[in-house]
Amino acid sequence: MTDITTELLNQDRDLDSLGPVDYIVVEFPAGASNFTGEMAEELVALVDAGTIRVIDILILTKNEDGTVEAMELSEIEELGPLRAIEAQLAELLAEEDVANLAAAMDPGSTAGVVIWENLWAAPFGSAARRSGGQLLATGRIPIQAIIASIEADEAHSTEGD
Amino acid sequence: MPLGPGRVGRVGVIGHPVAKTAVVAKAVTPGPAPVAKTAVVAAAVTPGRAGRRRI
Repeated sequence: MTDITTELLNQDRDLDSLGPVDYIVVEFPAGASNFTGEMAEELVALVDAGTIRVIDILILTKNEDGTVEAMELSEIEELGPLRAIEAQLAELLAEEDVANLAAAMDPGSTAGVVIWENLWAAPFGSAARRSGGQLLATGRIPIQAIIASIEADEAHSTEGD
Repeated sequence: MPLGPGRVGRVGVIGHPVAKTAVVAKAVTPGPAPVAKTAVVAAAVTPGRAGRRRI
């Protein structure tokens, strides 16, 4: 792993050229995980395509007593395709982040935390800033919210018939 | 399983305890099968679809 400051600011890049950084916590309930390597392959495909840059990965386990253990990707022996990503990771997440990220995990579950930079969005963001734009809001619309909206709309239409 | 040395003593970036996302709760509520919902969403995000915006 490399120092986070070095990782983010070197490579002939400045802060203005960084794309937005997102994170995801994927929980695998006890006994429900089915690791076939498919997730790793998809993640590497996104990296290889230049869509994202993976900044950090942690594996969290919440024990039945509520205690949380964190594992670095480098501690996993059989990394498979993730080996190439592991060499580029920075330790962006701090120790105090582990507890925050694990807060919603159920006891007995394991979770993967992935932090990535959206490389695809960086040029657009830079252009917006050069044009005088300021980020007003950003967010994600869950598919379930779209479904709920459509269903409510259809119910409204039916009432009007 | 010790954390990497670069993680210790630094200010975190998450800032607050993460809550279980509402997406999970909604996803397990009774309703149409996921396949049927996929078709509904696909129709909703089709370019040129108009006429359902009410403000």
